[in-house]
Amino acid sequence: MSLRRIGLLLHREFVRGPKNFMFIFAVIVPLVLSLTMLLVFGTLFAEKPRLGIADAGDSQFTHSAAATEAFTVRKYASEAELRDATAMGAVDIGVVLPSDFDESVSSGKTTTVTAYIWGGSLLKDRAALAATTATWVRQMAGQVSPVNIITTVLDGSVVLPWEDRLLPLILMMGVTFGGLMIPASSLVAEKQQHTLAALSVTPATMVDIYAAKGLVGVTISTVMTLVILGLNRTLGNSTLLLAGVLLLSAIFAAEAGVVIGTLVKDIDSLFATVKALGLLLYAPALIYVFPDIPQWIARVFPTYYIIHPVIEITQHGARLADIAGKLGVLLILILALGGLLALLTQRMRYRH
Amino acid sequence: MTELAIIAEDLTYAYGQLMAVDHISFDVAEGEILGFLGPNGAGKSTTVKMLTGQLLPKAGRATLLGIDVARHPKQVQAQIGVCFEVANLYETMSGIDNLELFASLFGVRDFNAEALLKRVGLDGRGKDKVSGYSKGLKQRLMVARALVNRPQILFLDEPTEGLDPTSAQAIRSLILEEQARGATIFLTTHDMHEADMLCQRVAFIDRGKIVALDTPHTLKQQYGKRTIRAEVLGDDGHLQTREIILDRQETPAEIEALFRDAEVVTIHSEEATLESIFIQLTGRELI
Repeated sequence: MSLRRIGLLLHREFVRGPKNFMFIFAVIVPLVLSLTMLLVFGTLFAEKPRLGIADAGDSQFTHSAAATEAFTVRKYASEAELRDATAMGAVDIGVVLPSDFDESVSSGKTTTVTAYIWGGSLLKDRAALAATTATWVRQMAGQVSPVNIITTVLDGSVVLPWEDRLLPLILMMGVTFGGLMIPASSLVAEKQQHTLAALSVTPATMVDIYAAKGLVGVTISTVMTLVILGLNRTLGNSTLLLAGVLLLSAIFAAEAGVVIGTLVKDIDSLFATVKALGLLLYAPALIYVFPDIPQWIARVFPTYYIIHPVIEITQHGARLADIAGKLGVLLILILALGGLLALLTQRMRYRH
Repeated sequence: MTELAIIAEDLTYAYGQLMAVDHISFDVAEGEILGFLGPNGAGKSTTVKMLTGQLLPKAGRATLLGIDVARHPKQVQAQIGVCFEVANLYETMSGIDNLELFASLFGVRDFNAEALLKRVGLDGRGKDKVSGYSKGLKQRLMVARALVNRPQILFLDEPTEGLDPTSAQAIRSLILEEQARGATIFLTTHDMHEADMLCQRVAFIDRGKIVALDTPHTLKQQYGKRTIRAEVLGDDGHLQTREIILDRQETPAEIEALFRDAEVVTIHSEEATLESIFIQLTGRELI
């Protein structure tokens, strides 16, 4: 194996790839589907509620606000600045905190907080901001809520919003098209155009060739899945962990792509194979779309170990320890495919 | 003593039950052009694939430049150039990009693609995409690609098949230039005329076996018949062809009789062709 030759072949893939049908397909389709979903569910242009704060002191309120992911928080040096910003629609609600705000709240004294509301702000954003700020103040004052609200979800079918249910499906498309189809189709094209034979009589080894094809898939898959999650604003707090999981997913998909590309003869057989494997690839995502189906069934399918950790991180704020078991299975799958690939590489050394 | 660039010992390959190459042995000296001749399906390409490390022989051994091909294919491949029978270029890339990619894979430094393109008569077309090239231009580019690493052994699989005379001549000239440089050339063809022109020795392969291997001259002497072919004016006023086989006791008398008894219009001496020898040896033609 030579890193220099892998680099050369990788460069060729990236320079020539963008003109390839499958390359375009892998990039465009998940993006279009993501944007369509966002448009359909009306969340494409929706922003987080924006809270402006002019804090004369160094209030705990400001720290609590800064720590939240739910709002966009902007700080202003003076009340006048905050007022102008709110008037221009830079924030939905602007709150002016006096310098002795924390002291007053903790001692139980009544204090006045001025709030400016932008006339164009959405009612749901105003309500969310108002309710949350009230909770923060109550926490600062050390008060327990005087009312216990018992919530009952009606129409259980919408417990999980549709955009959340469909996200794994689109994510799997990003993984499959980018990670699996690009290396597989590139390999099949080299076979059909006999260029693989030309490469095979150079010092480049099959490992070099496979590595270059696989790396293209890994790169496209990782980038595309990150873009899809970014577009859906579901990157969550653990972006690095998420990127790591997506990278492992991409490696798994790329290995599968190279294996399939090695075994099938032509592009028609490739599409037929991927269609046949469709259920195996997409089943966990489809099961997730329908919460009434027993979710444990998804565990039977290898791609569950891609989807589940991603969902756990993006939707439930999971940490590495929470998903370590699933990632372990994914690593075992990667190693198993790697072993299969090593066998095929040995076999392909003399077959083109 | 001349070193041997290629040694094939008992090389064998079968596709399932079909024996494609049946225990063949031969060698090629350094700087020699060996013509490997045979009809389609005779086993020429399979032999080339085994010699170039693309196929693992079922039996036997191939040694190139003193290296066992099956054991160290990449070491061998770094020193050889292969021009395939089927066009296998990156069609969406330019001619220059194709050559530069392969030169880089071979680790060639200071590679001059333009100079190589000029050698094969593709100067001015290097920046064009290969998909826009004619068959002849693609073939020239394939030959150029086989030369990017200045190979010590050059394998050319039907390099002039289906080409226009100009392209074919350009490739033949290049083969002779490479030989002059010191390269050994393994030329697979079913063009007997080409083999006769270029090769020091030719091997006839038929149904996976080598049926003859020698210089064209020796083969012609051994198997061929030298003849005189004359056109004479017949009694009816039409031209008739007469053939006299040379190198026999009665030949002088037959020639004398020809000139005495008939009005000779044209007369030519003819040597046996490699094609006629091949037919004589195998009972079938070269197509």
